[in-house]
Amino acid sequence: MSAIEIVLWVAVPYVSIIAFIAGHIWRYRYDKFGWTTRSSQTYENTLLRWGSPMFHLGILMVLAGHVVGLFIPREWLYAIGITEEMYHWGATVMGSFAAVLTLAGLAILIYRRRTVGPVFLATTVMDKVMYVFLALTLGFGTLATVVHQVFGSGFQYRETISPWLRSIFGFQPQPELMANVPILFELHVLSALALFALWPFTRLVHVFSAPVGYLFRPYVVYRSRDDVQGTRAPKRGWDPISTPDPQRLRRP
Amino acid sequence: MTQTEPRRRTAPATDGPLAEALVGMSRFVRRGDVSEDLRALFLKGGREGDVFYRDRWSHDKVVRSTHGVNCTGSCSWKVYVKDGIITWEAQQTDYPSVGPDSPEYEPRGCPRGAAFSWYTYSPTRVRYPYIRETLARHYRAAKAQHGDPVEAWASVVDDPEISRAYKRARGKGGLVRTTWDEALEIAAAAHVHTIKRYGPDRIAGFSPIPAMSMVSHGAGSRFMSLIGGSMLSFYDWYADLPVASPQVFGDQTDVPESADWWNSSYLMMWGSNVPVTRTPDAHFMTEARYRGQKVITVSPDYTDNTKFADEWVAPHPGTDGALAFAMGHVILKEFLVDRQTERFVDYLRRYSDAPYLVALEQRGEQLVPGKFVTASDLGGEAAAAPRADFKTVLLDQQGSPVVPNGSLGHRFTPEDEGRWNLDLGTTVPPLSVADVPDWDGASAEIALPRFDLAPEPGQEHAGGSGVLLRGVPTMEVAGRTVTTVFDLMLAQYGVARAGLPGSWPSGYDDAEAPGTPAWQQELTSVPAEQVIRIGREFADNAEQSGGRSMILMGAGTNHWFHSDTIYRTFLALTTMTGCQGVNGGGWAHYVGQEKVRPLTGYSQYATAADWNRPARLAIGTAFWYLASEQWRYDGLPADQLASPLARGTFAGRTTADCLVESTKRGWMPSFPTFSRNPLDLCDEAEAAGKEPAQHIVDSLTDGSLHYAVEDPGAPENFPRVISMWRANVLGSSGKGNEYFLKHLLGTDAAVRAEESGPGERPRDMVWREEAASGKLDLLMTADFRMTSTTLFSDLVFPAATWYEKYDLSSTDMHPFIHSFNPAINPPWQTKTDFDLFGELAKRFSELCEGHLGVRRDVVAAPLQHDTPDVMATPHGRVPEGAPLVPGVTMPKLIVVERDYPALYDRWRSLGPLTEQLGMTTKAITYRPDEEIEALGHSNGVHPSGRVAGRVRLDSDKRACEMILAFSGTSNGRLAVQGFRQLEQRTGQRIAHLAEDHEGSRITFADVQQQPRSVITSPEWSGSEHGGRRYTAFAINVEHLKPWHTLTGRQHFYLDHDWMEELGENLPIYRPPLDMHRLFGDAKIGHVGEATGPGAGQAEVAVRYLTPHSKWSIHSEYQDNLFMLSLSRGGPTIWMSPQDAGKVGVRDNDWIESYNRNGVVVARAIVSHRMPEGTVFMYHAKDRTIDVPIAETSGKRGGIHNSLTRILLKPSHLIGGYAQLAWAFNYLGPTGNQRDEVTTIRRRSQEVEY
Repeated sequence: MSAIEIVLWVAVPYVSIIAFIAGHIWRYRYDKFGWTTRSSQTYENTLLRWGSPMFHLGILMVLAGHVVGLFIPREWLYAIGITEEMYHWGATVMGSFAAVLTLAGLAILIYRRRTVGPVFLATTVMDKVMYVFLALTLGFGTLATVVHQVFGSGFQYRETISPWLRSIFGFQPQPELMANVPILFELHVLSALALFALWPFTRLVHVFSAPVGYLFRPYVVYRSRDDVQGTRAPKRGWDPISTPDPQRLRRP
Repeated sequence: MTQTEPRRRTAPATDGPLAEALVGMSRFVRRGDVSEDLRALFLKGGREGDVFYRDRWSHDKVVRSTHGVNCTGSCSWKVYVKDGIITWEAQQTDYPSVGPDSPEYEPRGCPRGAAFSWYTYSPTRVRYPYIRETLARHYRAAKAQHGDPVEAWASVVDDPEISRAYKRARGKGGLVRTTWDEALEIAAAAHVHTIKRYGPDRIAGFSPIPAMSMVSHGAGSRFMSLIGGSMLSFYDWYADLPVASPQVFGDQTDVPESADWWNSSYLMMWGSNVPVTRTPDAHFMTEARYRGQKVITVSPDYTDNTKFADEWVAPHPGTDGALAFAMGHVILKEFLVDRQTERFVDYLRRYSDAPYLVALEQRGEQLVPGKFVTASDLGGEAAAAPRADFKTVLLDQQGSPVVPNGSLGHRFTPEDEGRWNLDLGTTVPPLSVADVPDWDGASAEIALPRFDLAPEPGQEHAGGSGVLLRGVPTMEVAGRTVTTVFDLMLAQYGVARAGLPGSWPSGYDDAEAPGTPAWQQELTSVPAEQVIRIGREFADNAEQSGGRSMILMGAGTNHWFHSDTIYRTFLALTTMTGCQGVNGGGWAHYVGQEKVRPLTGYSQYATAADWNRPARLAIGTAFWYLASEQWRYDGLPADQLASPLARGTFAGRTTADCLVESTKRGWMPSFPTFSRNPLDLCDEAEAAGKEPAQHIVDSLTDGSLHYAVEDPGAPENFPRVISMWRANVLGSSGKGNEYFLKHLLGTDAAVRAEESGPGERPRDMVWREEAASGKLDLLMTADFRMTSTTLFSDLVFPAATWYEKYDLSSTDMHPFIHSFNPAINPPWQTKTDFDLFGELAKRFSELCEGHLGVRRDVVAAPLQHDTPDVMATPHGRVPEGAPLVPGVTMPKLIVVERDYPALYDRWRSLGPLTEQLGMTTKAITYRPDEEIEALGHSNGVHPSGRVAGRVRLDSDKRACEMILAFSGTSNGRLAVQGFRQLEQRTGQRIAHLAEDHEGSRITFADVQQQPRSVITSPEWSGSEHGGRRYTAFAINVEHLKPWHTLTGRQHFYLDHDWMEELGENLPIYRPPLDMHRLFGDAKIGHVGEATGPGAGQAEVAVRYLTPHSKWSIHSEYQDNLFMLSLSRGGPTIWMSPQDAGKVGVRDNDWIESYNRNGVVVARAIVSHRMPEGTVFMYHAKDRTIDVPIAETSGKRGGIHNSLTRILLKPSHLIGGYAQLAWAFNYLGPTGNQRDEVTTIRRRSQEVEY
């Protein structure tokens, strides 16, 4: 177990997780009004209408695949009758489809961002950094899948990477599990960790405020007043006023 | 029995089944109640987020203020303050009502005004006093050596190397923070030294438009007037003064308020882009359209107001005179000759000079119109009456000459008291000699000039002028062959009548004959049919509505060299159709207009007339022309402007020589006046035992004394100290910006012109081989933002903004006076202008001990309008070789005592002259005795010291109270008092216009509460009596009060010698100056190839106009972040796609635009709005935003005025004759700039800063 492996597979993941969690807390506290997708829809719509749904649908499928592959022990799947072969076939086919969708969407979005003047002008440095790591993560992941799962013999990440990741979350890190992982998977993991560390400082925070509720919510929302005068906390020395008793307004 | 139980009583209000299912599902799991139609969700609590938004719009106080200096809108604003910070502003809505049947004034305000509060905390805010480091270093060293600040200053400016060094550093950065103490010390020392060494008239102050903050302007002007410095005029310098107004009406500019547009039923917007430049008032125009008003726009480009118009007339730039002239032709022919419209004829008889007699003169081979016939020509009893030279003559219905009431000769003579009125009695004067019953059919062929021709080949130097021969009916009166002005007008306009000699147009379609609609089409490109239709409609509407046809005119037509002629053709239309003095009719000119409604009180305060009279008030254009040495480059030959029928007075002379003559004759003021210190002249006179006036006359005669105007390059004649406040000459109004930089300031400049060659130089001025450079010792500026002017100033004082002081505002757009109030105290180290000049005065008084005591000063005051001075030149005949008589053939020489040590005390108290001499405005003298007494109680009096017992004027609010108390518009007692005097003079009943307000006073507390309607006062010519809308000249028309002109009527005809020389006796079309012919500029439309920088690039020559911008006029400047964001930001030039195509320019490309005056770098805005051959660079582009280094000069800079320069027109310099006489901002040469031509090429797109 070399020091470098300890750093890469123990230190880096925890640093990334801490940056991710602490960063979000910090961002939420200090930059509430900057918590935004930085939508550029007003500047350009034609390309966005294709690129954005493709990318977002794709990435959601990718997310789902990763949850199944990384967080559900394969024994559990065996238990419900999903064999190794079925899993492998399903993961590769559906994963490739999702990857194509995501990458095509991302390509459209990056092309749009670079070529449409107003959109490019509205692009921050942080956006550009984020695009680099997002593209790297997706690229390595796709490459690893293509090289090892589609054309290769198939790499059993559910014996290595998945338990390693679960060990991180269980605070019992097992870096040795990562010892013989192919380089493409390693790069995919590392770029993803970097992306997670950057996450709170980019527009990606919108993941946590995606307006999913809109789908299920009536258009108009009424909120009642709290039981205080106005919207500010009552100050000392100010008596509350109340509606006069209607009975007292009448002559007896 | 079946029972149906619907699940819901109402249908779901969702997008469809899917949404319905989703929302319907969620209602079982989410908090709160969902309405049955699935439309609304009801939650308990959760409103914490509201706090932020409630706080966002909460505030601590609202303060009334407005926008100062330049905005004629004069809108009252609510300024919001929160936690001691100015947060935003909103329009006030509490203007007094206009009354029923009309839209109201409120709310007033435009997006520019709403963006003003940005300046309070802007990055360009001047927060501390600044001084240029080079100057500070040398001054501090000198101070350490000399101890005395005045001597220290003298040693700095006297050392050629040091003064060269700090002057060369101007505009190149190096401003460092200093203390108020040091800055005031240096400023005061410079003033003391200059007065002592060179004379007080070597000090000048510039601050424009007092109406929009009277005390801020007046405080500095009062300081200048007490030390003897000169205040420079601005209205003429801005070229906003329509010279035609003095020429025609004898009035500066008097126009209707904007609510009167509503009363008009035919409105022409001519060169005035109302929605852009009069935004808060434009609604009256759009509303009047719903009342059936027809709206015409005349504009060469597709302006914003065009979209409101029923018709768009698009003449070539600068040809508006031809357009109006042709309309006049149609109206004269159809409404006054073919059919004599009763209303028009009656109006012209009573209110115009049309029926007055003009004698014909033989000039060479030809007969030309000469002088007005006056009583002195008639002989006998009439000629023996006083001032018979100024009593003009008309015919009665029998054809006998009559001297009617109301001419200038009746205005000032005691014998004619009660006869200065427009009452013609039983006389019904014929408009034409031909209308006289026993006219014998005599006629004469007269020669009239024309200027519309292209020069003959080989005759380019003489320009395109020619002679027309046309006939007029004549008769003999007192041995002279005479005709009427109306007959001359018909001849001039080419309206033929049977039996008259001469050549006449064959009809409207005769394109060869000047005056016809077809003729104008050749010049303007406007279809003849359109001109005929509009002319006809304009007059027809005037006839049917009783004069409610209006022309709203503006900078687009008023900033040309020959704008006086353009405007006279407009005013001819409104006068010949009887529209002047009628609500809803007449002219409406607003550009740069400033109506200080409380005029009398303001003038007392600002000119320090309570302490000494007269103040030195200069004509701005001529001052800058000489100060910036532009005369060395100009060389505009005056005879090139002259009529082919001229006597030759201008032969061999330049327009600069005309300025010299005008100065020497006392027509126009000129400061510095003489080649020596006026204080020393008084001392010399005393030593010689003579009166100063006599001493000066003797010295001028023996040649030992000269006028400074004859040698502006001599060091003793330099202006030495200039103070600017509320002003930005170097970023806004400084025509010939590069000449200013080079000669006045002595720093880097991009002047490209050669100086005039030996044959082209002024005849009457001293030519020095080496041009003066760095003439100015001190340029000090007070401003709240960094401008081009502050960047070049030696001292910069941090000023309070308009939301940080007390002051007064009024305008001609509405009839209210309202107030400025401080929303916050001036922040950082800023001070109000009032406080600045108070402290400067105090320091001045301290420093002058040992240098200046009580001195006598001799002021050379010009012959002034509205005084008997205007009768100095009978018949407008300019005498040759007349002896020097101050006040007649030369300026008045008036000795003024200056108590310099007491200056500060005088500045802050009311002096004795107001009570002793009264206050004279437009020849009416007001006696504010009761008001002085009352002010003593309300303002208080000084308890001790030099001015013990005198009324205190030591705070801005007290000065406001004084202005309001001393003016008829704000004090009914004075208004009535003035009207009673006018009643005596005119013999007409007028005072009832103000009598119902005799007890009314408007105080400062009143205007703090609400804008207040003014009281009708003889200070102005209109009436607000009974809540009517103000329109100019209502008093003249309804109460027969004469205009302040020669005949007492509106003038079509001007008979001054110089007007004859220029061929401008009558309204006439003069095209824009041919800059190619006169100065060798490029020809418009010429496409060539650049030489020098950018060699090989295609370049195109175009007309260069600098109109008012949507994003910086008038309450706002272009550097405001909001305005930069709304517009493209930075320097831009608007081009037509055609011109851009010729030189390969695409929208937003960087271009360079240059001519002989300089160069400017800008980005091109290529727009179909622009006509081919013309470009716009909006006015007032400062060098503070995005100004790169020019390829052409290698220097930074270039602003809109780098391509312009000053051109003087001799007719603006006439004085001492009837309405053609000087008064401050009433008459003077204009700083016109529309005739310029520039060459444009695409430059390297890599710009460096």
